[in-house]
Amino acid sequence: MEKARSNVVAICLFMLPAAVLFTVIIIVPVIMSTYYSLLNWDGITKGTFVGLENFVQLFKSKTAGFPKTLLNVSVLAGLSIVIQLPLALFLALVLGKGIKGEVFFLSVFFIPVLLSTTVIGQLWSKIYNPDYGILNVALRALGLDHMTKVWLGDQKTALLAVFIPILWQYVGYHMLIMYAGIKSISPELREAARIDGATEGQLARYVTIPLLKPVLRTSIIFSVTGSLKAFDLIYILTNGGPAHASEVPSTLMVSMIFNRNRYGFGSAIAVMIIFLCFLMAILLRKLIRTEEVV
Amino acid sequence: MKQTLKRIISLMMVCLMVLSIAACGNSVPAQPGQSDAPESSTPSASNSSTPAPAQNVQLVLWSIATESDAFHNAYNQAIADFEKANPGVKIVHETFENESYKTKIKSAVAANELPDLFFTWGGGFSQSFVESGKVLAIDKYYTEEYQAQLSRAALVNATYDGKLYGATYTTPVSALFYNRKMFDQYNLKAPTTFEELVNVCQTFINNGITPIGVSVKDTWVLAMTHDALTLKSAGPEKTKKAITRGGQSYNDPDFLASATKLKQLIDMGAYVEGATGLSNDEASQYFYNGTVPMYITGSWMAGSIMTDCEHPEDYDVAPIPVINGNNAKITDFMGGAADTIMVAASTKNPDVAGKAVFELTRSISKYAYLDGAGVPAWEVDYDDSAVNPITAKLAQYATGATSFTLWFDTLMNANDAGEYLALLQQLYIGSITPQEFVEAMAEQLGS
Repeated sequence: MEKARSNVVAICLFMLPAAVLFTVIIIVPVIMSTYYSLLNWDGITKGTFVGLENFVQLFKSKTAGFPKTLLNVSVLAGLSIVIQLPLALFLALVLGKGIKGEVFFLSVFFIPVLLSTTVIGQLWSKIYNPDYGILNVALRALGLDHMTKVWLGDQKTALLAVFIPILWQYVGYHMLIMYAGIKSISPELREAARIDGATEGQLARYVTIPLLKPVLRTSIIFSVTGSLKAFDLIYILTNGGPAHASEVPSTLMVSMIFNRNRYGFGSAIAVMIIFLCFLMAILLRKLIRTEEVV
Repeated sequence: MKQTLKRIISLMMVCLMVLSIAACGNSVPAQPGQSDAPESSTPSASNSSTPAPAQNVQLVLWSIATESDAFHNAYNQAIADFEKANPGVKIVHETFENESYKTKIKSAVAANELPDLFFTWGGGFSQSFVESGKVLAIDKYYTEEYQAQLSRAALVNATYDGKLYGATYTTPVSALFYNRKMFDQYNLKAPTTFEELVNVCQTFINNGITPIGVSVKDTWVLAMTHDALTLKSAGPEKTKKAITRGGQSYNDPDFLASATKLKQLIDMGAYVEGATGLSNDEASQYFYNGTVPMYITGSWMAGSIMTDCEHPEDYDVAPIPVINGNNAKITDFMGGAADTIMVAASTKNPDVAGKAVFELTRSISKYAYLDGAGVPAWEVDYDDSAVNPITAKLAQYATGATSFTLWFDTLMNANDAGEYLALLQQLYIGSITPQEFVEAMAEQLGS
């Protein structure tokens, strides 16, 4: 093993395919986007170099509303930490205990992750439909007519209405990560605690969760960076509307590049998204220190 | 050890990047080289310009006439006719969905991968295509025969800098579609002025019927109404000047009037509830099934009424009511020929393609009209008595139109159009007042 590790040629050879893919698919486009973000360019004719003007406009332009989109994704990131992850953790803890029908429930909770986002988008847009959607129908049936709303068309509710499916969709994903983490904790530890008279709550609080910390950190990083680049469901459900109420950086980027031919400005948004994702990943890694447990 | 490893890896990265850049760079100059050879060979093959039995020429045509599109049949028949009349020429027709096509065509222009013939929208949409030099000017193929049947006025949106870059087959117009049966029930007539429209709406509201269907989620539907009201308030010249940055400020009483009138309709409850969350398909369904009696949109709705309504004979169409009779007439129309077929400058067979553009658009114009799918842009020199009455009426409007003004979001450049639609949404929701709307538009168009 030691010999293989010190063989430089072998290392290079084995790394080559991954390095090539990584460079061509990730590094090169990032560099190109960064270059485009410095241009005033419509994507077709020749662009002019404007330096950091696009980035200044990002924060200055009232009509683009980029700061608002940052606020929106912050809300989404916050909600996923406060609602989505605890829910996933709870499910993982319950399932990890080895209840009856464990595998069945595991699959059921994981189904939303497997479904195509387009399908989920269509599904939820039918749920929210003001006319025949199950949500309004249920409210009417309960006599709560005054609470019925045009969920996706109302500026006040649109943001929350698109976030709920996103949160719902990925609960299963985080649950599976945590479940795998719980399963990898050696059962002796739990048994020992149980012999010492620990209740289920105490077991979770003092044994499972502390040991799960590295996994939780990964989950938090995934959900925060995932929120920052959230796109597909929002695009399908509201496309950032009405009047930018549910706009996030990535939907703004698409509308800038493809609807408004502002390729340079859109690239600046792309660069900001990349930058923020890296920043948050590093920040969270620093913030949540974990001792490596053997 | 670690040092050397790092060095080797970074060296590899550099090599890779250089390689990939070089690879990209190579392919670009290779293309004109490829197209060079056949280009020099075509003139010899078809020196006598018009009939020229070209030897096994294949032209690729991109369009949005997918199988579910109303123009699908017309395209197919037109292509069949053309292939029959020009043996040896084969047209490969590739279709794409409307929204995704907008992205596709833009990237194809940027990547220099345009097919010989492609569908596009005239006006601001294609301006950058033409400016980039990727589109062929087709003036020399616009022969007298074609000129007699398709007027220059219809081609104004395909003309850039005095040169013709495309031909059209349909002249869609915005109109007020209405359910005549519901109108008759309350003894109402199609409104010709805005006051009459308000009265009609009020009558329906008083009887518990929501008068107008609209989609704000697909903002272009709302824009159809606002565009038309603006035209009928400010008149064609002033409107065009203002939205194409032609020296007319948008902050003007006439433009404020149309925004205010729209707001008036919204506030009186003329529009369906939840329009902000409805797509065009969902909203127009209310009109087709007789829930709402009015819908303002483009002439393509005529075809859908025939197929989607249980009683198409109940429906009728009228021009958009006039707001200010001093500026606009009832015969001023929003619309005009935006649907255009263009020829790529990179085509290997410019002569055949140039002829095909006119032959195809002429045939599509005919077949689409007979199908009831579109208002013909070319002269009608055939029997059209079988055309459905609504389309026939629209064709008459188009013939008698005193002016055509292209829809704002097509006429404006892409960025202004995006802002216009966003502002319109805000106006509908009520987060900005008509005055603020007009000011924001003036600022956008002034910058």
